[in-house]
Amino acid sequence: MSLTIRARNLSRHYGRTRALDGIDLDVPSGRIVGLIGPNGAGKTTALKAILGLTAFSGELEVLGLDPSRQRDRLMQDVCFIADVAVLPRWARVWQVIDMTEKLHPRFSRERCMYYLNNTKIQHRQKVKTLSKGMVVQLHLALVMAIDAKLLILDEPTLGLDILFRKRFYSNLLNEYFDEQRTILITTHQVEEVEHILTDLMFIKDGQLILNSTMDDVHERYVEVMAKPDRVDEARQLGPLHERVLFGRHIFLFDRTDLGSLGELGEIHRPSVADLFVALMGDEYNNGLAGEEAA
Amino acid sequence: MSTHTVSTLWALMRRELWENPGTLKWAPAIIAALTLFFIVISLIIGARFDAELAFTLDAIREFANQPADQRRLFISGVLFSTSALFFQFLILLVLFYLSGSLYEDRKDRSILFWKSLPVSDHMTVASKLLTACLLAPAMYLAAALLTQLVVLLIATGYGLAAGVNPITTFWLPSGLPKLWVVLAAGLLVQALWFLPIYAWIMFCSSWAPRVPILIAIAIPLGVSLLQHAWSLVSGFRLPEFNIGLIMLKRLATGIVPTNVNIQVDSESHRADFTDIEFSEELFMNLSTVFSHLLKPEMWIGVAIALVLLAGAVWFRRRATDN
Repeated sequence: MSLTIRARNLSRHYGRTRALDGIDLDVPSGRIVGLIGPNGAGKTTALKAILGLTAFSGELEVLGLDPSRQRDRLMQDVCFIADVAVLPRWARVWQVIDMTEKLHPRFSRERCMYYLNNTKIQHRQKVKTLSKGMVVQLHLALVMAIDAKLLILDEPTLGLDILFRKRFYSNLLNEYFDEQRTILITTHQVEEVEHILTDLMFIKDGQLILNSTMDDVHERYVEVMAKPDRVDEARQLGPLHERVLFGRHIFLFDRTDLGSLGELGEIHRPSVADLFVALMGDEYNNGLAGEEAA
Repeated sequence: MSTHTVSTLWALMRRELWENPGTLKWAPAIIAALTLFFIVISLIIGARFDAELAFTLDAIREFANQPADQRRLFISGVLFSTSALFFQFLILLVLFYLSGSLYEDRKDRSILFWKSLPVSDHMTVASKLLTACLLAPAMYLAAALLTQLVVLLIATGYGLAAGVNPITTFWLPSGLPKLWVVLAAGLLVQALWFLPIYAWIMFCSSWAPRVPILIAIAIPLGVSLLQHAWSLVSGFRLPEFNIGLIMLKRLATGIVPTNVNIQVDSESHRADFTDIEFSEELFMNLSTVFSHLLKPEMWIGVAIALVLLAGAVWFRRRATDN
């Protein structure tokens, strides 16, 4: 299995702030990786480094290429969508398609048309007359029509309605994704991607605080809804996080011994959102974040 | 250059055509329409004073009997001057086009889309420079040529009314093929002559945080004012070498349509008109056009331009949306 992304001690400083603080990363091909983190955690900086859009220190290889030196070559195999749709506003839809076809050797017009046929986008329309959601739809259609090895999606479904979001992820999984491709997604809507991810990374203050496969995450973390009389006992075991739901105390453990936990109460698989809240530390470890996740 | 490079450059230049229709399509079309409008208006006004067109037709018959070199001078002179407006607007609008060329997509963040395509920053910068040096001149030249053809067609109508042979009176003396070759060559040499100015503006466009055209003007202006102030203070005289004046002089000494070879003696501030002969050779002369290629200033300018363009590519390479 070849590595799609390999990083060692990847760092990026803006003055005294460390946007990336020595990240090590190994992403094999054929994975769908979720990069989750609060705003300003370094997600976009990490993506930009991988795309060769920002300077960095440390080692970084993407598809065996150095993104800072071999960007043009790299972009033949990498596609990306930035956090807000950035298609040129002056262009007409057919012009954008035409330009992508002329400039990208791996673009397939038929596939693009296939995705666009499911939308209300007219070819004569200018991008600036499209709604925000339609611009994203157009951009996604373009990107999914490119036979790339690495697809990077930075908040891809921002501003889209739930129907399109569902269809987008199902297209991505069923028609786009295969063993040769890797998809790297950042999003705030964790619940929607958690079922398609194969790998999960949490980033905070420029550092990865979680980097493992979904299988390992499910193995390792466990949530216990403690019986009322065993709450103190559960606290003794050093849970990562505690929250209260309908008067019941829910503890999240980095699994030590399932047997003893089972006696404390019901055992669940924690959602990525709950895990996020638990691992992200104090500023998220309050009622507000808990409600959001619930 | 491989065919792939050429097709990529052409795709990128088509993008410029789509993005800047005002500069590249509508402006030359409007100038052509205005030029023809004023010609038609003056003919209509002329017809008012000259009810039966008797004087006009007499004048045309008179003109048809002039010596051949006089006819050539007049016709090609008229056609040449109809193109002047096109090329003056061309320079002005190309300067504005270039100032936005590496700036607009940074401002509206579409640079992230362009950078997601496998196109090198060299190609991007080259496509914009080629648009300024080849595509824009070609569009304006085409509009100027069409205007000249319409002017000749109008003249043909008058000629037929006057009973003279329009071919020998107007079309042959116009020397259209030579005129067009001179104009096209002049535009190419002019682009080379302006290359340092173009490159300077693109360089500013590649990094300016806002309003690149003002920055591109303000820096040389500030430097030349400082130079002035410094040499007045230090030596109580005006500087001999002033970057702002050099740039202005270069802009002022374009090649077409004012490729008339007049040497202005800057010491005595006196134009030397004494050896000018009024023949169509004055402006219809390829050797005048190409003589600019022999000037050392031309190639010094090109060398400076290459450095500035390398700088523009360097900044483009690092440019993102913020």
